[in-house]
Amino acid sequence: MWLTSKIKQVLMVIKPGVVTLNYPFEKRPVPENFRGAPYWDHEKCVGCGGCANHCPARTILVRDICQELRVMVYDGSRCTYCGRCADVCPENAITMTDRYELATDDRRDLNESMELFMLTCQRCGRCYDMENKNMIDRMDLQGYRYDNLEARAFIRKTTDSFDPEMLKKTAEYKRPSKIGE
Amino acid sequence: MNSLEQVLKTLNDKFGGSITGHETPLPTRLFVDIKAENVREISNEVVALGGRYLVGIGYDNIARDGNIGMIHSFGFDKDNFIVHLRTAVPESNPVMPSITPDIPGAGWSEREYQDLLGMKFEGHPKPKRLVVADDWPSDIYPMRKEVPYNLVPPGAEDVAYQLDECPEGCSIIPVGPFHTALHEPEHFAVYVDGETIKGCDYRGFMTHRGIEKLCESQVSYNEVPFIAERICGICGSVHATAYSQSVEMAGGIPVPERAKYIRSLLLEIERLHSHLLWLGVAGHLIGFDTVFMQSWRVREQIMWLSERITGNRKTYGMVIVGGVRRDITPEIGEDILNVCRKVEEEVKIIHKSITGDTALHKRTKGVGYLSKEEAINWSLVGPVARARGIDIDVRRDHPYAAYSDLQFDVPVVDTCDVWGTLVVRLLEIYESIRIIRQIIPKMPKGELLTELDAEIPPFKHGISVVEAPRGESVHFVITGEENRPDRWRVRAPTYPNLQAIPAMLLNDQFADFPIIVGSIDPCFSCTDRVEVVNITSGQNRIMSKSELEFISRGNK
Amino acid sequence: MDIVYIAVNIIVFLAFAPLFEGIVRKLTAKVQSRQGPPVIQPYYDIIKLLGKENFVVENWAFKLAPLMSFAAILSVICFVPLGYKSNFLTQYADVITIIYLLTMGGVSILLGALSSRNTFAMMGASREMVTMIMVEPVLAMTFFVGAVKVKSLGIDTTIFSVMNTGYSWSVVLMLVLYLMALQAFVGKQPFDIAEAEQEILEGPFIEYSGPNYALFKYSMMLKQMFYASLFVMVFVPFLYTGTYGLDVVIQLCEIALVYVLIALVGSTNPRLRIDQAVRYYAVLIVMALGAVGLSVYGI
Repeated sequence: MWLTSKIKQVLMVIKPGVVTLNYPFEKRPVPENFRGAPYWDHEKCVGCGGCANHCPARTILVRDICQELRVMVYDGSRCTYCGRCADVCPENAITMTDRYELATDDRRDLNESMELFMLTCQRCGRCYDMENKNMIDRMDLQGYRYDNLEARAFIRKTTDSFDPEMLKKTAEYKRPSKIGE
Repeated sequence: MNSLEQVLKTLNDKFGGSITGHETPLPTRLFVDIKAENVREISNEVVALGGRYLVGIGYDNIARDGNIGMIHSFGFDKDNFIVHLRTAVPESNPVMPSITPDIPGAGWSEREYQDLLGMKFEGHPKPKRLVVADDWPSDIYPMRKEVPYNLVPPGAEDVAYQLDECPEGCSIIPVGPFHTALHEPEHFAVYVDGETIKGCDYRGFMTHRGIEKLCESQVSYNEVPFIAERICGICGSVHATAYSQSVEMAGGIPVPERAKYIRSLLLEIERLHSHLLWLGVAGHLIGFDTVFMQSWRVREQIMWLSERITGNRKTYGMVIVGGVRRDITPEIGEDILNVCRKVEEEVKIIHKSITGDTALHKRTKGVGYLSKEEAINWSLVGPVARARGIDIDVRRDHPYAAYSDLQFDVPVVDTCDVWGTLVVRLLEIYESIRIIRQIIPKMPKGELLTELDAEIPPFKHGISVVEAPRGESVHFVITGEENRPDRWRVRAPTYPNLQAIPAMLLNDQFADFPIIVGSIDPCFSCTDRVEVVNITSGQNRIMSKSELEFISRGNK
Repeated sequence: MDIVYIAVNIIVFLAFAPLFEGIVRKLTAKVQSRQGPPVIQPYYDIIKLLGKENFVVENWAFKLAPLMSFAAILSVICFVPLGYKSNFLTQYADVITIIYLLTMGGVSILLGALSSRNTFAMMGASREMVTMIMVEPVLAMTFFVGAVKVKSLGIDTTIFSVMNTGYSWSVVLMLVLYLMALQAFVGKQPFDIAEAEQEILEGPFIEYSGPNYALFKYSMMLKQMFYASLFVMVFVPFLYTGTYGLDVVIQLCEIALVYVLIALVGSTNPRLRIDQAVRYYAVLIVMALGAVGLSVYGI
């Protein structure tokens, strides 16, 4: 009983054998639905900004440079490869490719930016509103939002405010010195 | 057998004066508003009626009515409902009686809000700092709405955490913050006498990421599931599902049937993956690397399956508020059944080869003994509780997603030790495969995602419990304005289980320390909080900071 | 001529000990469905460690301990009659000397561990002490089974006693007991409680780095090879051809087989706790005494 367990443990390996792959030279095939790095097809993109609104990592930024020029920047440094951008794109311009070997020593290699010439509406001079299935996503558009391309920042109104006086007061803070304090 | 109405009636009869209102948004959820002074008596009454303490939620309501709110939740497992006691204290004098002396499981929740919201709980046996760092300024309360999420106060050098007194005659062995037996940084100060453990003190929360604060101020409703998935590397889907379910309960959002089945499928796949991972880690902790390698080899098949279904090995990203994102086609269903068959065969081989192994028995039987009464006292959850004869399982007791339509057994043993947890987890693997085999043919046709016509109403409370592989995970959400939650509270299963560790460790050998800690399958990144629980023998010996460093650094 | 035998002893042991260790690691990996490191990996490890910076604790015991351990095991190797040829040092020592030198090797580990004043090292040292105390008698009994028969304590007569007097019940019993204690001698699962216990404690070597650590590792490997070769010399003497070179090669092959056994047992066992191991050793000691008793009566 004890010995048979040991023998079984050794024999357990005979069927599968050694499973290690010699990685850079032997790779596992990538399945179909795999979510690798996203790719924008600039010919299909209409500049609606849906991907930018839905990215949970705030890594897609959109900014109008001037009346007819819209810049969309994908700053891949924070992308989590969730695929929300591909889900909501109304023109199916975004595909999640199968690239996962994205390590690089220069962050700018992961950036993609598109400059789009926008058709202006005759009445208001802006592009159209996007359609979403879900009320939650429509609610996203409320609230002020400013995408700063140089600083790669997405600034959104929050409900927090802080009192700088409070921070100054805590310059002399009390350190706990006794147990139970 | 209780029913919700009976509990409400009993509370009204006994404490009519303190109860200011109640609401029943669902047949299984009861919210009772009470006055703060009587919270202790009413909580004891609820426990006496058969409730089990779940979690305490504190929230900042100052902008609306100048109060800080506190909610205690109790679950009634046999009868499938949850009772909440809602109180509030004014911000100018946030003092409330503590319920910890009678219900030890509440100790951590209350200490947390002492640090984070500035409340004071009278009568708490151990009001020490829990969550915030030791050099955090003492009058900035991070969870208050006036404090931004990215505040970084000036740090201090030379402030160490204050451990409890060491019992007489014992020496301290510091395990952590970096130790090869632990996966995340936390500090166990183990008091040993020779090789026998006489006590333990714990300080953690070193990787506290402030997720709750972040999701209240920066992120919108549908982006929170992606963050929730990353609370834990192993039970990601659980947190996303629990969050979505609590928002759906709060907002009254119906979920299509097909989406519910797909959610259950993902949860069961995650359970398979997590139990195989635990088997490997347990083997590694007792020095048995062959079990480790082989069970992880089997687990790899499940990761490849997840990659084919969802596009990613672990962070599935499939669950959002209102449903799921991708469909399970019949081909994928076939694939899943094939993989389940292979995994079942291989797990049977591993199972047969380790059940007869007496060397393994020696390391796990009788180790980490904790009796059933003590386990109930500490409100343990999950396989740790089921190994001690406590028959609780959220999938059966408070059914959610598609579990009310599925047949499965809940394995319960009563060996009260680490071997019991191993047996329970192995049996749960077989049960999960059985559940998956029922889900695939039974999946109804339909939509995947609900279309919402209106905004989610603000300031509604929702709670949802989900069975993670480690136990029960509770999420509480208060919906808010501007498309984001106003308060989100996550209680992971390791939270109550960790409190029982010193009781399990007492009088065991030091060499069993990793396997005992490993038997609760700790997920410290889920836990998000550390509580120090100590069992001293009454003798005092203060260890100064310099002595502690002397021992732990080996004198340079 | 005898000096050549000593030199061959030293060179063979120094050269082959890391190779056999590599075989153990490779075989363990194959049982675990992995590829494992190359078989010559321990050589690379030792060379790498020799080039690293040497952090020391400022006392003489810490710096002395690795040297003492290495010197002890090297001295034992010089006495050993590899290839069935005893060299001239063999007559100057007897089995008690070998036991003392091995104990000195163990004591040097304790010295190094305790001088570093690290809590984990102290726990590892206490376990090492217990293991040493309990396992020493089995080694001594292995020698005495032969010594009682040939009525002498000389190294060559004792070790070749089986070759000369044949197998008897006591020898067979001793063989089984030696195999059961082999894992404890070489410090592999299920008995690697003191050394290399990376999961639970870091063991007695936690404060060592660089060349000191390389010396300790090397002495561990040499000790392992010594115990395996002792088994082969004492209990498997029937492939005796008479030619020195061929004998050495045959013995090396047999040693490799013993290592295969060590690897298989090591990879299929969890690590035991020290109190459980002590109970196991106690049983072994009692049975070893029984074997010596049988040998006294000539059985």
